[in-house]
Amino acid sequence: MTARIRFLFLPVLALLFLFGFAASAIAQDGASPASTVSPNDVKEVSKQLWCPLCSGVRLDACELKACEQMRDVIAVKLSEGDSDQEIKDYFVAQYGPQVLGEPPLEGFNWLAWILPVVVMIGGGVFLWFRARSMIGGRTQEATAGAATSSAASDSEDEYGRKLDEELKHYD
Amino acid sequence: MIFDIGHLILMTALVLAAFGIIAGYFGGQRRNTRLITSSFNAVYAVAVLVAISAGILWYGLFTDAFQLSYVWNHSERALPTFYKFSALWGGQAGSLLFWCLLLSGFSAVVAFANRHKHQVLMPYVNAVLLTTSLFFLILLVFATDPFKRVGFVPPDGQGLNPLLQNYWMIIHPVMLYLGYVGMAVPFAFAVGALLSKRLGNEWVRTVRRWTLIPWLFLSLGIIMGSQWAYMELGWGGYWAWDPVENASFLPWLTGTAFLHSIIIQEQRGILKVWNVVLIWLTYFLVILGTFTTRSGVLESVHSFARSDVGPYFLGFLIIIVFGFLWLLFDRLPLLRGEHQIDSYSSREAAFLANNWLFTGIAFATLWGTFFPMFSEILTGQRISVAAPFFNKVNGPLFLMLLLLMGVAPLLGWRHTSLSAFRKQFTIPTIIALITAALVFVFARSLYPMIGLAICAFVTATIVQEYVRGAMARRVTTGENIFIAITRLWSRNGRRYGGYIVHIGIVMIGVAIIGNEFYQQSVSVTLARGETVNLGHYELEYAGIETDRQPNLMEFSARLLVYDTDSGQVLDTVHPKRNIYDKTPDMPTSEVGLRMTPFEDVYVVLNGWDNSGSSATFTIYVNPLTMWMWVGGIMMAIGTLIAAWPHATRRRTESVRSLVYAPGD
Repeated sequence: MTARIRFLFLPVLALLFLFGFAASAIAQDGASPASTVSPNDVKEVSKQLWCPLCSGVRLDACELKACEQMRDVIAVKLSEGDSDQEIKDYFVAQYGPQVLGEPPLEGFNWLAWILPVVVMIGGGVFLWFRARSMIGGRTQEATAGAATSSAASDSEDEYGRKLDEELKHYD
Repeated sequence: MIFDIGHLILMTALVLAAFGIIAGYFGGQRRNTRLITSSFNAVYAVAVLVAISAGILWYGLFTDAFQLSYVWNHSERALPTFYKFSALWGGQAGSLLFWCLLLSGFSAVVAFANRHKHQVLMPYVNAVLLTTSLFFLILLVFATDPFKRVGFVPPDGQGLNPLLQNYWMIIHPVMLYLGYVGMAVPFAFAVGALLSKRLGNEWVRTVRRWTLIPWLFLSLGIIMGSQWAYMELGWGGYWAWDPVENASFLPWLTGTAFLHSIIIQEQRGILKVWNVVLIWLTYFLVILGTFTTRSGVLESVHSFARSDVGPYFLGFLIIIVFGFLWLLFDRLPLLRGEHQIDSYSSREAAFLANNWLFTGIAFATLWGTFFPMFSEILTGQRISVAAPFFNKVNGPLFLMLLLLMGVAPLLGWRHTSLSAFRKQFTIPTIIALITAALVFVFARSLYPMIGLAICAFVTATIVQEYVRGAMARRVTTGENIFIAITRLWSRNGRRYGGYIVHIGIVMIGVAIIGNEFYQQSVSVTLARGETVNLGHYELEYAGIETDRQPNLMEFSARLLVYDTDSGQVLDTVHPKRNIYDKTPDMPTSEVGLRMTPFEDVYVVLNGWDNSGSSATFTIYVNPLTMWMWVGGIMMAIGTLIAAWPHATRRRTESVRSLVYAPGD
């Protein structure tokens, strides 16, 4: 019985994890073609870029003169028919990868993305095996303890009984 | 004259702190009552001395003593009085003095509250708390003296950083610092337990409340910081994953993990090493956070000051790491667990998953925050690690954490049977599926659909817990539902208060999803009388007013907000710009806001022509954002319920672990 729950639990977590990555990847694209350039079109692009001078400030919100000029450049490029991606590439070429707000997927910067995933998986595997060895050593005692603690009981009223017990305990 | 005394007082406090550390350590080792008493007195004396010296700096700020470099740089004659008060933590030297003030105050409260308790632990606790105070006193005396003279008396000061001239900026740093310094207390108890070899549950039971309170301050500090960013920075958001924001978030993450995992140690006697490590990590991250914000090692909008405190911090961090690890390895044989885990579907296993996720998020955040530094050192390339990185890496982890928050409290200790599992999860799962379907129909988008479904699931499990708890009481005692719920809080506040905190987190989650995925915005220049549409609102620009204030000029635009369906005026909003006399090139912004439970209309004034006949705005509609602040309040209420001392609990504390262990 426990095994079934256990096998349900992990894949759900794993799926969720993958889902999350997929969803954030989908949210990435979605460029809109610009016929006449409005402040909103500029804003849509500048939202995806970061101020090269301040750290952590989005280009659409930065008040530096330099950023104002960058937004003007975006307007010009949009009127020339450049796509969002072309504009982003242009700024990367001009100012370096820091305008992206995230490490580009190349060279040493892979490490920024890989390490958290490796640590999460490594930690998860470590915990899993650790827990398994602990459970292995405990099976007998658990069944023995079950009679007194009633924790392993299958009764439908298990929860209610536990709660009663617990609440009585506090009175 | 009086300011020289201020410096002398800090030096005296430094010497006393050093004496108190020695008295505490040897007093604890030799059980020498006189030395132990001395360590207590040293804690009180340091607190009094630091308070006097902070009082002298306040006096300097209030009397415009511009001969002091600190006052000259961070104040001016025309500064309103309450900002003169908050200017104490507006610059580097002052904020370190303020840190030291709060820490020594907190230490004195801890020492006084425990003066007759924990006889073996307390001398060490005093010593560890004084060590932290000593470090800050060393900084104040040798590296960054708040009483440094300019050498002449300037006629007026340079003014306080305009970004700090905001009411949230008075209270937000205080909350954050209280959270920061408070985390030194559980760490001191952990080290005290290691030093005294009293590694049972005594220290864990004592620090639960001493961790909850700083945790509450830290949470409120972070929420208030977000509120400040939302109201002042004017980009429609509240959290930018800025290094300084991360610095406050990191100890929160490990501290939250600690608060959860000490429950398992109390109930099951396992994870002893891990708990000591977690609170050490939290303390380390507090000092690291102070270091990063104060040394400007990672550039960010918050790093106003740079100075030569960096090497001192680095040295102290190294001492914290090696000193602690040495002590931990030495005591490792004494930290064996008493029990083991019985099943993957037990609450213990869920707590392990909780710790895995919290520390994982903390790692990813720390790594992302420092990665630009590594990248620049190793490859010479400057990159930025901002919201896109953190959202992609932490987003899925937060979703899992949210789900776990719904699942974990329903699992039994040791083992959950399949029938109990089914009974617990049927209703919440149905509610989650209905929510997902509704989101799919009305606002189709994958991430929010998963997120909101999980929020609904967690809410349903918590409501179900309350209903079952209240019903059980009604059956046994015949109380009505309201009395039953208040009794649940007073009888088992840890569990039922904790659920309120969880509800607060769910609200914050809903607000984040609303703001992140359903925000609408428009940038527009409007002539007076002209209108623009956004969502189901129409906004009309009605002119701009100027208002002269003591140290600034306020420009306040007026916009009428109409409902497009009914044509009715709903509200008037006033986005503002302040131009400061001393720093005209750093104008600050205050958004115009109409806040409702459903959505906010949020207007930023970007610029205007000379006469005010036209003005440029960025207008946002931010759905559900109000729930972030409501959630913050819920967290505070829940924490207070969980931390409230009850006479009944103390009586039963010793028996509870013998009978069925109640969930908390």
